[in-house]
Amino acid sequence: MLSLTFTLAEPQSFALWEKLLLAALIIVSAGLFWRRFGVVLDRILQSKKDPGFHLGNLARRVWDFVSEVLLQSKVIRQRPLPGLAHAFVFWGFCAFALVTLNHVAAGFGASFLSPSGAFGRFYFYFAAAFALACAIGILGLLIRRFLVRPRWLGAKLSCESGFIAFLIFALMVTYLAAFFTTDAAPATRILWWAHTLCLLVFLPIIPHTKHLHLVLSPATVFLSRGGFSDIPPLAGDEDFGLVAGQDLTRIVSLQAYSCVECGRCSEHCPATNTGKILNPKEIILGVRAYLNDIGPRTDEPLLGKYNSQEAVFQCTTCGSCEFQCPVGIEHLPIMIGLRRGAVNTGAWEDDYGAKLFNQLERGSNALGISAAERDKFIQREQLPIFDGTQEYCLWLGCMGGYDPKGREIVAAFARVMKHLGASFGVLRKEKCTGDPVRRLGNDLVFQQLAEANLEILAQSKVKRIVTICPHCVRTIQEDWKAYGTPPPIEHHSEFLARYAEQLPKRVQDKEKIVFHDPCYLGRYRNVYDEPRAVAATAGEVVDPPRARERSFCCGAGGGLTFLGEETGERVSHVRAQELIATGASTIGTACPFCNSMFRDALGASNQPAPQLLDIAQLVARSLPATDSGEPGKK
Amino acid sequence: MKIIVAIKQVPERDAQVRIDPTGKWMEEADVQFAMNESDAYALEEALQLKEKQGGEVVVLSAGPERVGTTIREALAKGADRAIHVDADNLQELDSLSVARLLAEAIKPESPDLVLTGLQSDDLGLGQTGVILAELLGMPHASLILTVEKTDSGLSVKRELENGWFQTIELPLPAVLTIQSGGNKLRYATLMGIKRAKTKELRRIAASELAAPPASLAVLESIALPQKQRSTQILPGTAKEAAATLVEKLKFEVRVL
Amino acid sequence: MSGIFVVLEERDGRVSRASWEALAAGQHLAAQTNEPVSAVVLGANADDAASESATKAVAKVIRIGHPLLARYTPDGYIAALHQLIHSERPAQVVFPHTYQVRDFAPALAARLGQVLISDVVAIGDGPVFTRQLMQGRLTGNYRHQGNGPCLISVQAGAFRADAVQTGTAEIVTFEPQIDPASIRTRPGEPFRGSAQTVDLGSAPLIVAVGRGIKEADNLSLVQDLASTLGAELAASRPICDNGWLPMERQVGSSGQTVAPKLYIAVGISGAIQHLVGMKGSQCIVAINKDPEAPIFEVADYGIVGDLFEVVPALTEALKGA
Repeated sequence: MLSLTFTLAEPQSFALWEKLLLAALIIVSAGLFWRRFGVVLDRILQSKKDPGFHLGNLARRVWDFVSEVLLQSKVIRQRPLPGLAHAFVFWGFCAFALVTLNHVAAGFGASFLSPSGAFGRFYFYFAAAFALACAIGILGLLIRRFLVRPRWLGAKLSCESGFIAFLIFALMVTYLAAFFTTDAAPATRILWWAHTLCLLVFLPIIPHTKHLHLVLSPATVFLSRGGFSDIPPLAGDEDFGLVAGQDLTRIVSLQAYSCVECGRCSEHCPATNTGKILNPKEIILGVRAYLNDIGPRTDEPLLGKYNSQEAVFQCTTCGSCEFQCPVGIEHLPIMIGLRRGAVNTGAWEDDYGAKLFNQLERGSNALGISAAERDKFIQREQLPIFDGTQEYCLWLGCMGGYDPKGREIVAAFARVMKHLGASFGVLRKEKCTGDPVRRLGNDLVFQQLAEANLEILAQSKVKRIVTICPHCVRTIQEDWKAYGTPPPIEHHSEFLARYAEQLPKRVQDKEKIVFHDPCYLGRYRNVYDEPRAVAATAGEVVDPPRARERSFCCGAGGGLTFLGEETGERVSHVRAQELIATGASTIGTACPFCNSMFRDALGASNQPAPQLLDIAQLVARSLPATDSGEPGKK
Repeated sequence: MKIIVAIKQVPERDAQVRIDPTGKWMEEADVQFAMNESDAYALEEALQLKEKQGGEVVVLSAGPERVGTTIREALAKGADRAIHVDADNLQELDSLSVARLLAEAIKPESPDLVLTGLQSDDLGLGQTGVILAELLGMPHASLILTVEKTDSGLSVKRELENGWFQTIELPLPAVLTIQSGGNKLRYATLMGIKRAKTKELRRIAASELAAPPASLAVLESIALPQKQRSTQILPGTAKEAAATLVEKLKFEVRVL
Repeated sequence: MSGIFVVLEERDGRVSRASWEALAAGQHLAAQTNEPVSAVVLGANADDAASESATKAVAKVIRIGHPLLARYTPDGYIAALHQLIHSERPAQVVFPHTYQVRDFAPALAARLGQVLISDVVAIGDGPVFTRQLMQGRLTGNYRHQGNGPCLISVQAGAFRADAVQTGTAEIVTFEPQIDPASIRTRPGEPFRGSAQTVDLGSAPLIVAVGRGIKEADNLSLVQDLASTLGAELAASRPICDNGWLPMERQVGSSGQTVAPKLYIAVGISGAIQHLVGMKGSQCIVAINKDPEAPIFEVADYGIVGDLFEVVPALTEALKGA
């Protein structure tokens, strides 16, 4: 007969044989757990130490831990409904900690929480609330995985996930059911043993499945590298990147084992979304499979059995993967590490790549154009030359110096700077910042470019830099640090936003402008509002469906714009369609590469295309006529 | 097969061209140097031959100390060892004198094949390889795009004018001057540069090799050319502009 | 030592235009030094070349005859010319700067203990020989020193073939001694690049078409221009993407890189992806109706107009040329 007392029922005593059985089961379960987990731990610890890694900035680490692990912020924000469901499962686990301990202790007659005590009673109800939420959550996730079947979870149905879901559900149900029985009833004892068996079966399964993240991911989040796309330095003469198992570091191995296979990285990957073979989840799982099968401390190449060179070189380094990962995996340093391993050893044979590298070794820019062309542009636009006295050095970059559309953006920005009375000049000589070769993993050419440029900047006495290209900003500010001290640099959207009040406002013909967040400005630099503030002076700014940190790459990054044809759908075309579909009359960009990619994509379709303008051009349009009487040029 | 590749370090393509105070050569301060382009193709050809046939690739270059950088780049790409003929006054020597220096460095090596680029990006004389063949007493062929080893020597593809080609057979030892574009160039890698540090780089002073006779073709002075490249927009109706264009193509461009 | 020898090349029995230009250079030099100019012909069709040269204002035409000279080899030509120069002792020898001359003349000069001053673009008083350095960004003035003949080669187009004065000259024969064993190279028959694949990289003339052509059916306009010119047809990426022309005809960053003598860009705006593939062309002509199109920045000659009018007009003008 059910008794409705609503307190947790527990068997009050266990026979000796039960205690012995319990002890034996615990030992076996723990033993099986350790048998696998020990191996994983060993693989991680046998990996080489991370050069340049230090535990500093504890405040950030603690904050990330609290926010991402305890509060499940990223889990919820980036996939709200499933994320919330998972959050409740996780919080349920946390809330259950004491309950579980008490439960096992009870088996040995040493329970410390009593349903009659005030705290015990409260706590059991507290845990019950979470158990309910957890049960509903896990049921929801089960339905999602097996009925809805989103493709990011993979094509194959995972029995393992199903079984674990069942165990968790069973744990919650056996707990909640015990509220409806009495201590003495035989049902209670059955429930107790069922619950215990669920626990003891779950434990050894953890290290054999993706549920390893239960144990590892808090550490993974805490032990992340310093920043976003934090590329480690090469350590010594024999380090060429991630060539073989012996190059895998502890952080990489820890991250590979933490992968929870959620597919959030793949869901937002431009390559995966356009039919390329690259899938960031598969890259990480490939590293994990390599570690399981072959292990660290070997010279067996990483790119071979489990991951292909072709996939690795399809990455635009947009960073969606790393940004989305809820367990702290940093995909970019791994991807670039694998590329380094292929390029620094000459294993990557690609005609376009070789041409790019040779061009940058002998010449000054990634396009292979004579530097005299940049000089001609500077003369024609009458750009002031930096002579050490001006406040800003306007860095042109390869696109700003040589690409016809990039030059238009520079010209527009220069006009705005003049209008604002900013003092600036352009350098007589610039070399490519090295962004494409850095992302492709060529440390030889990158070092040459960084050092040559740092020398030019020092000699020219540059104090501050502003530029139209987010790739230049990132490379100069972060990647050059390995070779010197670059002067502070900002993107022109940050500069213009500071002067937003003084920018001319467009009063008539205000249009609808859809703003595309560049990867290297948004995810890499966290700059989302400034370009919008600038664009807002020219019209109504709207966001496309995938905006801000979820902005969908234009396809040019990672050096890919220099590598010739891509397979599958063109990333730029997919994104252009998304932008056009907003119905905006203008596409606003803040990166000359995005601008170049969309110009091609818009040109390829035969429909009437929206205007394509950089934020500098949006502002420059509204400038008063120049002294010569020319209206503001586009 | 022992292959010697003669390479030249030249001012890089983007170098600012200014005349030095003597008026006889360009100002070299602030100029960056790089491997001559067709020599890079010669090196690539040599490395590919070594990969197919086995043997040794030796890089040879004459010039001042800065030439060492380019030599190391060649070693980084896969050459086995290098010879640097140390000479500070190369621009004062004519092509025969330079070739004599190189020939003296080559003779003791007794190579099977000598490769060099078709012409240099600075002087553009395109003679060194052909003169070397004469001085070394070896048969030669120039403007070569691809090289294949045969039982009797080599079979090479030579470029002729106007899109024609020719196959030439010649015995070894021989000299070939290599045209740009025959192969895809490999890139220098970090690993290559690190390994290059341990490869042999032998320096010989030019004075040890041969006392160069007085130059017979003397570069007296240099100047910046008058006309620069600028766009001529041809005016008028379609017919008029077309007619003007045909005139230009015939007499200014001389392609018709 | 006296006299100026000009060594002429023939193609299928006709003296080449570059050779007449060399003869014009020789005559220009003769005006300075007051020396007689003689034409030298050798090769398979030396007889025809000799007859043609005999109608020019030269002191004499020297026809070098030897069966081993029927096919060009450096060994054969060097041996023959060396013996001629050694025997006749001219003060100057002038060559056209052709691929063939570049293959043997430097070695010939070395055998004579001389240095060839190659690729001369102008001859000033002295004589001073001007040539280009640093890919045309500098010019250099050379002077010949010492005893012994001065050998030069002149760049195509530096002198005008129609400046050669006419006259009549006698033809004399020179028969060198050439040991067959001294000919060490075996040349094959000249051939064109494979007919199947398009080798834009070695095409000397290219006509490229871009989006301005609007529809595939309009391509015939440009094809006519290309065939009249004897040029290869190429295209910017959108044309190949649409399947109007095969991918192998694409010029640009994801296609081929070309550097022909002449590149005519029809209806191409000049986006950077296309420019990087053709900026090395020696002469660029752009036809586009947009005067602001970036292609005009790299063009040597531009026509701002409707390509549907300009291209047929150009084809007509070429047919009449």
